[in-house]
Amino acid sequence: MERPDLKQSLTRLLGPGEPEVGCDACFDYLDRYVELELAGTDADAGVPGLRAHLAGCPACREEYESLRALVGGEQAL
Amino acid sequence: MSAAAATVTVVETAAESPAPLRPVKSLDANSRRWLDELRRPETARQEAIERLHALLLRAAHFEVARRRPGLPHLRGNELEDIALEAADDALVSVLRRLDDFRGDSRFTTWAYKFALYEAAVKLRRREWQGRELPLEPEDWTLFSDTAPTPEREAELRELVGELKRAVGETLTPHQRTVLVAVALNGVPIDVLAERLDTTRGALYKTLHDARTKLRRHLAGRGLAIDPTTEEGT
Repeated sequence: MERPDLKQSLTRLLGPGEPEVGCDACFDYLDRYVELELAGTDADAGVPGLRAHLAGCPACREEYESLRALVGGEQAL
Repeated sequence: MSAAAATVTVVETAAESPAPLRPVKSLDANSRRWLDELRRPETARQEAIERLHALLLRAAHFEVARRRPGLPHLRGNELEDIALEAADDALVSVLRRLDDFRGDSRFTTWAYKFALYEAAVKLRRREWQGRELPLEPEDWTLFSDTAPTPEREAELRELVGELKRAVGETLTPHQRTVLVAVALNGVPIDVLAERLDTTRGALYKTLHDARTKLRRHLAGRGLAIDPTTEEGT
Protein backbone atom coordinates (compact mmCIF):
# COMPACT_ATOMS: atom_id res chain seq x y z
CA MET A 1 0.00 0.00 0.00
CA GLU A 2 1.29 3.43 -0.89
CA ARG A 3 2.34 5.61 2.03
CA PRO A 4 -0.87 7.08 3.45
CA ASP A 5 0.49 10.58 3.93
CA LEU A 6 1.38 11.34 0.32
CA LYS A 7 -1.97 13.05 -0.14
CA GLN A 8 -1.24 15.08 2.98
CA SER A 9 2.25 15.93 1.72
CA LEU A 10 0.89 17.13 -1.60
CA THR A 11 -1.74 19.24 0.15
CA ARG A 12 0.95 20.72 2.37
CA LEU A 13 2.97 21.69 -0.68
CA LEU A 14 0.27 22.54 -3.22
CA GLY A 15 -2.50 23.71 -0.92
CA PRO A 16 -6.13 22.66 -1.00
CA GLY A 17 -6.61 23.45 -4.68
CA GLU A 18 -10.00 25.00 -4.15
CA PRO A 19 -11.28 28.44 -3.19
CA GLU A 20 -10.30 29.37 0.32
CA VAL A 21 -10.42 32.28 2.69
CA GLY A 22 -7.24 33.92 3.99
CA CYS A 23 -5.83 33.82 7.52
CA ASP A 24 -7.64 36.98 8.61
CA ALA A 25 -11.07 35.78 7.51
CA CYS A 26 -10.31 32.40 9.04
CA PHE A 27 -9.77 34.07 12.39
CA ASP A 28 -12.93 36.14 12.03
CA TYR A 29 -15.15 33.16 11.31
CA LEU A 30 -13.44 30.42 13.31
CA ASP A 31 -15.77 30.62 16.33
CA ARG A 32 -18.84 30.34 14.10
CA TYR A 33 -17.34 27.43 12.16
CA VAL A 34 -16.43 25.50 15.32
CA GLU A 35 -19.86 25.94 16.88
CA LEU A 36 -21.57 24.84 13.65
CA GLU A 37 -19.38 21.74 13.61
CA LEU A 38 -20.04 20.94 17.25
CA ALA A 39 -23.77 21.37 16.63
CA GLY A 40 -23.54 18.74 13.91
CA THR A 41 -24.54 21.14 11.15
CA ASP A 42 -22.80 21.74 7.82
CA ALA A 43 -20.01 24.10 8.86
CA ASP A 44 -18.50 24.08 5.37
CA ALA A 45 -21.74 25.42 3.91
CA GLY A 46 -22.05 27.92 6.75
CA VAL A 47 -18.57 29.32 6.21
CA PRO A 48 -17.47 28.55 2.62
CA GLY A 49 -13.75 28.39 2.07
CA LEU A 50 -12.75 27.96 5.68
CA ARG A 51 -12.37 24.17 5.61
CA ALA A 52 -10.13 24.51 2.56
CA HIS A 53 -8.00 27.09 4.33
CA LEU A 54 -7.57 24.82 7.32
CA ALA A 55 -6.24 22.16 4.95
CA GLY A 56 -3.65 24.55 3.56
CA CYS A 57 -2.59 26.57 6.61
CA PRO A 58 -0.99 24.57 9.45
CA ALA A 59 -1.01 27.50 11.89
CA CYS A 60 -4.72 28.23 11.46
CA ARG A 61 -5.41 24.50 11.65
CA GLU A 62 -3.67 24.29 15.02
CA GLU A 63 -5.76 27.15 16.36
CA TYR A 64 -8.94 25.57 14.99
CA GLU A 65 -8.09 22.26 16.67
CA SER A 66 -7.47 24.02 19.98
CA LEU A 67 -10.73 25.98 19.86
CA ARG A 68 -12.69 22.88 18.91
CA ALA A 69 -11.09 20.88 21.71
CA LEU A 70 -11.64 23.60 24.30
CA VAL A 71 -15.26 24.35 23.43
CA GLY A 72 -16.09 20.73 22.71
CA GLY A 73 -14.63 19.71 26.06
CA GLU A 74 -16.73 22.27 27.90
CA GLN A 75 -19.89 21.16 26.12
CA ALA A 76 -19.18 17.58 27.11
CA LEU A 77 -19.11 18.49 30.80
CA MET B 1 -2.33 38.46 10.93
CA SER B 2 -2.79 40.07 14.25
CA ALA B 3 -5.86 39.44 16.27
CA ALA B 4 -6.31 43.14 16.66
CA ALA B 5 -6.20 43.87 12.96
CA ALA B 6 -7.95 40.85 11.52
CA THR B 7 -10.09 41.77 8.55
CA VAL B 8 -11.99 39.69 6.06
CA THR B 9 -9.65 38.70 3.28
CA VAL B 10 -10.62 36.14 0.71
CA VAL B 11 -7.49 34.78 -0.96
CA GLU B 12 -9.40 33.32 -3.82
CA THR B 13 -13.05 34.13 -3.98
CA ALA B 14 -15.05 31.12 -3.00
CA ALA B 15 -18.14 30.25 -4.96
CA GLU B 16 -19.98 31.48 -1.93
CA SER B 17 -17.58 33.55 0.07
CA PRO B 18 -18.37 34.12 3.72
CA ALA B 19 -21.26 36.49 4.15
CA PRO B 20 -20.42 40.04 5.14
CA LEU B 21 -20.95 40.96 8.73
CA ARG B 22 -24.62 40.84 9.56
CA PRO B 23 -26.60 42.67 12.18
CA VAL B 24 -26.16 41.27 15.65
CA LYS B 25 -28.35 38.25 16.13
CA SER B 26 -30.51 37.76 19.13
CA LEU B 27 -27.92 36.72 21.63
CA ASP B 28 -28.14 33.94 24.14
CA ALA B 29 -28.60 35.23 27.67
CA ASN B 30 -25.04 34.59 28.76
CA SER B 31 -23.52 36.39 25.75
CA ARG B 32 -25.91 39.31 26.24
CA ARG B 33 -24.85 39.56 29.87
CA TRP B 34 -21.18 39.60 28.95
CA LEU B 35 -21.74 42.42 26.44
CA ASP B 36 -23.91 44.47 28.79
CA GLU B 37 -21.45 44.21 31.64
CA LEU B 38 -18.38 44.93 29.51
CA ARG B 39 -20.05 48.01 28.01
CA ARG B 40 -20.71 49.65 31.36
CA PRO B 41 -18.74 52.73 32.38
CA GLU B 42 -15.15 52.01 33.32
CA THR B 43 -15.64 51.80 37.06
CA ALA B 44 -18.72 49.61 36.77
CA ARG B 45 -17.25 47.06 34.40
CA GLN B 46 -14.15 46.18 36.37
CA GLU B 47 -15.60 42.99 37.81
CA ALA B 48 -16.64 41.81 34.32
CA ILE B 49 -13.17 42.56 32.98
CA GLU B 50 -11.63 40.50 35.75
CA ARG B 51 -13.94 37.58 34.94
CA LEU B 52 -13.10 37.95 31.25
CA HIS B 53 -9.39 37.89 32.03
CA ALA B 54 -9.86 34.71 34.06
CA LEU B 55 -11.72 33.15 31.12
CA LEU B 56 -8.95 34.12 28.71
CA LEU B 57 -6.27 32.87 31.07
CA ARG B 58 -8.04 29.51 31.23
CA ALA B 59 -7.93 29.30 27.42
CA ALA B 60 -4.27 30.32 27.37
CA HIS B 61 -3.45 27.62 29.94
CA PHE B 62 -5.33 25.13 27.78
CA GLU B 63 -3.15 26.02 24.78
CA VAL B 64 0.03 25.87 26.85
CA ALA B 65 -0.92 22.43 28.15
CA ARG B 66 -1.60 21.16 24.62
CA ARG B 67 1.79 22.31 23.40
CA ARG B 68 3.80 21.52 26.50
CA PRO B 69 5.04 18.08 25.30
CA GLY B 70 6.72 19.81 22.37
CA LEU B 71 8.40 22.36 24.61
CA PRO B 72 10.44 20.28 27.09
CA HIS B 73 13.10 22.97 27.44
CA LEU B 74 10.66 25.54 28.85
CA ARG B 75 10.25 25.68 32.60
CA GLY B 76 6.89 25.93 34.28
CA ASN B 77 7.30 29.55 35.26
CA GLU B 78 8.20 30.50 31.68
CA LEU B 79 5.07 28.78 30.44
CA GLU B 80 3.01 30.52 33.10
CA ASP B 81 4.45 33.87 32.03
CA ILE B 82 3.55 33.12 28.40
CA ALA B 83 -0.01 32.16 29.38
CA LEU B 84 -0.43 35.33 31.42
CA GLU B 85 0.97 37.50 28.66
CA ALA B 86 -1.34 35.82 26.13
CA ALA B 87 -4.36 36.44 28.37
CA ASP B 88 -3.34 40.09 28.84
CA ASP B 89 -2.94 40.66 25.10
CA ALA B 90 -6.16 38.81 24.31
CA LEU B 91 -8.03 40.96 26.84
CA VAL B 92 -6.89 44.11 25.04
CA SER B 93 -7.96 42.65 21.67
CA VAL B 94 -11.36 41.48 22.94
CA LEU B 95 -12.19 44.83 24.54
CA ARG B 96 -11.02 46.71 21.45
CA ARG B 97 -13.12 44.54 19.16
CA LEU B 98 -16.20 44.17 21.32
CA ASP B 99 -18.37 45.79 18.65
CA ASP B 100 -17.22 43.16 16.13
CA PHE B 101 -19.02 40.44 18.05
CA ARG B 102 -22.10 39.66 15.96
CA GLY B 103 -23.55 36.77 17.92
CA ASP B 104 -22.48 34.16 15.36
CA SER B 105 -21.25 32.09 18.28
CA ARG B 106 -21.44 32.29 22.03
CA PHE B 107 -19.45 35.18 23.44
CA THR B 108 -17.14 32.83 25.31
CA THR B 109 -16.26 30.91 22.11
CA TRP B 110 -15.56 34.20 20.34
CA ALA B 111 -13.35 35.39 23.20
CA TYR B 112 -11.51 32.09 23.56
CA LYS B 113 -10.09 32.31 20.05
CA PHE B 114 -8.20 35.49 20.92
CA ALA B 115 -6.46 33.82 23.86
CA LEU B 116 -5.71 30.63 21.93
CA TYR B 117 -4.29 32.68 19.06
CA GLU B 118 -2.09 34.80 21.32
CA ALA B 119 -0.82 31.77 23.22
CA ALA B 120 -0.15 29.75 20.06
CA VAL B 121 1.77 32.58 18.40
CA LYS B 122 3.88 33.22 21.50
CA LEU B 123 4.66 29.54 21.96
CA ARG B 124 5.60 29.01 18.32
CA ARG B 125 7.86 32.05 18.44
CA ARG B 126 9.40 30.89 21.72
CA GLU B 127 10.01 27.45 20.23
CA TRP B 128 11.91 28.99 17.32
CA GLN B 129 13.63 31.73 19.30
CA GLY B 130 17.34 31.87 18.49
CA ARG B 131 17.05 29.18 15.82
CA GLU B 132 18.09 29.80 12.28
CA LEU B 133 15.13 29.30 9.96
CA PRO B 134 15.67 26.48 7.45
CA LEU B 135 14.92 28.51 4.33
CA GLU B 136 17.00 26.10 2.25
CA PRO B 137 17.89 23.57 1.11
CA GLU B 138 14.49 22.26 0.24
CA ASP B 139 13.50 19.24 2.27
CA TRP B 140 11.82 16.84 -0.16
CA THR B 141 11.87 13.86 2.21
CA LEU B 142 8.09 14.06 2.44
CA PHE B 143 8.05 12.63 -1.06
CA SER B 144 11.01 10.26 -0.81
CA ASP B 145 9.25 7.01 0.04
CA THR B 146 8.75 4.43 -2.66
CA ALA B 147 5.39 3.80 -4.26
CA PRO B 148 3.67 0.39 -4.27
CA THR B 149 4.26 -0.32 -7.93
CA PRO B 150 7.08 0.53 -10.36
CA GLU B 151 4.58 2.43 -12.51
CA ARG B 152 3.38 4.56 -9.63
CA GLU B 153 6.94 5.12 -8.47
CA ALA B 154 7.86 6.41 -11.91
CA GLU B 155 4.84 8.74 -11.85
CA LEU B 156 5.81 10.08 -8.47
CA ARG B 157 9.41 10.56 -9.52
CA GLU B 158 8.24 12.56 -12.54
CA LEU B 159 5.83 14.57 -10.40
CA VAL B 160 8.43 15.44 -7.79
CA GLY B 161 10.98 16.22 -10.51
CA GLU B 162 8.57 18.66 -12.12
CA LEU B 163 7.75 20.19 -8.76
CA LYS B 164 11.43 20.73 -7.98
CA ARG B 165 11.95 22.28 -11.39
CA ALA B 166 8.91 24.51 -11.01
CA VAL B 167 9.98 25.68 -7.55
CA GLY B 168 13.34 26.68 -8.98
CA GLU B 169 12.16 28.16 -12.26
CA THR B 170 8.66 29.55 -11.98
CA LEU B 171 8.52 31.13 -8.54
CA THR B 172 9.84 34.55 -7.59
CA PRO B 173 12.63 34.48 -4.98
CA HIS B 174 10.16 35.62 -2.30
CA GLN B 175 7.57 33.03 -3.29
CA ARG B 176 10.26 30.36 -3.22
CA THR B 177 11.47 31.44 0.22
CA VAL B 178 7.96 31.32 1.67
CA LEU B 179 6.96 28.05 0.01
CA VAL B 180 10.16 26.23 0.95
CA ALA B 181 10.16 27.48 4.53
CA VAL B 182 6.48 26.89 5.29
CA ALA B 183 5.35 24.08 3.00
CA LEU B 184 8.53 22.00 2.77
CA ASN B 185 10.66 22.80 5.78
CA GLY B 186 7.91 23.23 8.37
CA VAL B 187 8.60 26.75 9.59
CA PRO B 188 5.45 28.16 11.26
CA ILE B 189 4.04 30.93 9.10
CA ASP B 190 3.83 33.45 11.94
CA VAL B 191 7.45 32.78 12.91
CA LEU B 192 8.50 33.46 9.33
CA ALA B 193 6.29 36.56 9.25
CA GLU B 194 8.03 37.93 12.32
CA ARG B 195 11.50 37.32 10.86
CA LEU B 196 10.55 38.89 7.52
CA ASP B 197 8.79 41.79 9.24
CA THR B 198 5.47 41.13 7.54
CA THR B 199 2.10 39.65 8.45
CA ARG B 200 0.80 36.12 8.47
CA GLY B 201 -1.98 37.08 6.07
CA ALA B 202 0.47 38.62 3.60
CA LEU B 203 2.70 35.54 3.70
CA TYR B 204 -0.25 33.21 3.20
CA LYS B 205 -1.23 35.21 0.11
CA THR B 206 2.32 34.72 -1.20
CA LEU B 207 2.13 31.01 -0.40
CA HIS B 208 -1.23 30.77 -2.17
CA ASP B 209 0.15 32.47 -5.28
CA ALA B 210 3.16 30.14 -5.31
CA ARG B 211 0.95 27.07 -4.96
CA THR B 212 -1.25 28.29 -7.81
CA LYS B 213 1.81 28.65 -10.04
CA LEU B 214 2.97 25.13 -9.20
CA ARG B 215 -0.44 23.64 -9.90
CA ARG B 216 -0.59 25.42 -13.25
CA HIS B 217 2.90 24.20 -14.08
CA LEU B 218 1.91 20.61 -13.35
CA ALA B 219 -1.35 20.95 -15.27
CA GLY B 220 0.54 22.33 -18.26
CA ARG B 221 2.58 19.14 -18.33
CA GLY B 222 -0.36 16.84 -17.90
CA LEU B 223 0.56 16.18 -14.30
CA ALA B 224 -2.38 17.91 -12.70
CA ILE B 225 -3.09 16.44 -9.35
CA ASP B 226 -5.75 17.23 -6.86
CA PRO B 227 -4.75 15.88 -3.50
CA THR B 228 -8.14 16.69 -2.07
CA THR B 229 -9.90 14.30 -4.40
CA GLU B 230 -7.28 11.82 -5.56
CA GLU B 231 -7.91 8.38 -4.19
CA GLY B 232 -5.44 5.71 -3.29
CA THR B 233 -2.48 7.98 -2.78
